[in-house]
Amino acid sequence: MMRLNLLLLVAVLGSAFGLVHTQYESRRLYTAIDKAQSQAQRLEADHEQLKVHKRERATSARVQQVAGGQLQMRPAHPGITQYVAPPASAPAAAPTPVEARP
Amino acid sequence: MKPAISYHASPLLASKTPVWRSKFIMALLALAFLGLAGRAVYVQVLGNDFFQSQGEKRFTRTIELPANRGRVLDRNGLILASSVLARSIWALPEDVDKNDPKLKDLARLLDMPLADVRRRIASDKSFVWIKRQVDEPVAKQIAELGIKGIHQSRAYKRQYPEGEAAAHVVGFTNVEDVGQEGVELAFNGQLSGKNGSRRVIKDRLGRIVEDVREVVPPVDGQDLQLSIDSKVQFFAYQKLKEAIAQHKAKAGSVVVLDARTGEVLALANYPSYNPNRRINLTGEQLRNRALTDSFEPGSTMKPFIAALALERGLAKPGTPIQTAPGRITIGGSTITDAHPYGVLTLSEVIQKSSNVGTVKLAMQLEPREMWESYTQLGFGQKPQLPFPGAVSGRLRPYKSWRPIEQATMSYGYGLSSSLFQLAQAYTVFARNGELIPVTLMKRDEETPGVAVYDAPNALAVRKMLEMAAGAQGTAPKAQTMGYSVGGKTGTARKQEGKGYADKKYRAWFVGLAPIEQPRIVVAVMVDEPSNGVFYGGLVAAPVFSETVQQTLRILGVQPDMNVKPQIVTQAVEESF
Repeated sequence: MMRLNLLLLVAVLGSAFGLVHTQYESRRLYTAIDKAQSQAQRLEADHEQLKVHKRERATSARVQQVAGGQLQMRPAHPGITQYVAPPASAPAAAPTPVEARP
Repeated sequence: MKPAISYHASPLLASKTPVWRSKFIMALLALAFLGLAGRAVYVQVLGNDFFQSQGEKRFTRTIELPANRGRVLDRNGLILASSVLARSIWALPEDVDKNDPKLKDLARLLDMPLADVRRRIASDKSFVWIKRQVDEPVAKQIAELGIKGIHQSRAYKRQYPEGEAAAHVVGFTNVEDVGQEGVELAFNGQLSGKNGSRRVIKDRLGRIVEDVREVVPPVDGQDLQLSIDSKVQFFAYQKLKEAIAQHKAKAGSVVVLDARTGEVLALANYPSYNPNRRINLTGEQLRNRALTDSFEPGSTMKPFIAALALERGLAKPGTPIQTAPGRITIGGSTITDAHPYGVLTLSEVIQKSSNVGTVKLAMQLEPREMWESYTQLGFGQKPQLPFPGAVSGRLRPYKSWRPIEQATMSYGYGLSSSLFQLAQAYTVFARNGELIPVTLMKRDEETPGVAVYDAPNALAVRKMLEMAAGAQGTAPKAQTMGYSVGGKTGTARKQEGKGYADKKYRAWFVGLAPIEQPRIVVAVMVDEPSNGVFYGGLVAAPVFSETVQQTLRILGVQPDMNVKPQIVTQAVEESF
């Protein structure tokens, strides 16, 4: 009887410590998830910011300014454009390679 | 050795303890337990709500999860407006040391006068905003200053990469991220999301350790894809801006419509503003003139009379009309032409823009017929565009028209229209007599229209429009390399008070291209050109020409006219 009681006491104590530890671990992991989530959000926000920056660097106004100013380019017009008509039918499949003969 | 005191033999022990004492102790202990049980019942059952809420107040926090406002995109998915993370700087005035030398750095970083920062901090309120929507890098520098009592919170800032070119279409939001103008206002409900929230337990270090209830996730706003092409928009704006500078004009607008789908490809106005830096804005800059202002459209109305005359069988394109001696008197008022032309065919009346010829035709029409035709074309009605401030223009009921009014309305005086309405009305000539519904949203498929004229009549007028933009017409400057164009000029005197201003004009040009299979309708209006020339054919037509050229190139439309190639190839010497 005494032994059983001792065993149960140890089991109860073990379970209690286990509970405390699990609770601690769960909170620690929760904090870690939360941190990771907020970092994901921040990165997403940074991504959006970078996309906007990229767009700002590539607007028609800037392209024209750089192309006309720095690169000395001029706008295209039909007079300096070679129009290529699309082929009447879909392009044929690539010819099967023929073995080179000497 | 015998102990000095024999405890066992203590007479106290020998005496019998009265029973009531132990009972008394037992009763006290029982009472104490009862008290504890009572307290437990009070805490757990009766006062549970109170204690629960007190506990929550100490450890749990509600965190708002802000929803992202949807982006505004152009037809190719390029960003026209997007929200990026920013910081709002705020202060608890009583915590701030008013003589802190770092306040100077703060003012410099925020690009604010020091006096302004000091004035805000001197406030007797417990909380004040110093500056909202500060860019993240600046906010970081401010945080590094470490000024006591200055704090930051997360906020969103709307960015408009296209700047002033698309300002009137896209509009802008206020600091609370609520739409104030343009698409931002018109589609505010769709763009703005719904904030979420979570209730959490925080530990001593402020870390979140547990969610108390289920998280309510934020619902982000929807992205909005407009029909606007940012390149077309930019070129239209740029050409308009150049023309306004060249002709020292007051203002102007351009509208580009896709004649196939009814999509608005560009809608530009000048003067404009930079939506990213909205300081000292005037009403002049903010007005989306193409939609919110209506004017007398002048001669640009004449093709509609020609089409109606063809519809009613009053004339054919080759029917001669006597316009000599270049003036006509109706109800005591005289209407004149810029030059006396003599006999003109109906086509030539449009080509030369003869007021007399148009009036002679219009006077054979019933006022009701004219009114119905104008109404079918959308004049006097708000365009079906969910845009703030779009006007309906003015078209009085035909019953109150006097003969002279009917006459003037045939060449665009006595009624008013916005440039946008006029552009839409011209889709009847582009689409063989069908008026197409317009949209600001990407549609990308051909839309059926409402038949207003029979196709042959619409085609005949289109031919007249081509002549008007030809060598003998009023607007040879509307021509553009590689593409056939057609259109009508308008030079309208401006109203001032009850009469017309002496030397103030509005120059118009509305046209389509390529003429055989129109793909776009472009309308241009320049307000008060005052550098010597003021005719629509000289001021507005060149803007049309350049806009058509760029738009058709961007849309990938192959030229329908032969162009003398100007490609010069030069052999480059090979280096070795």
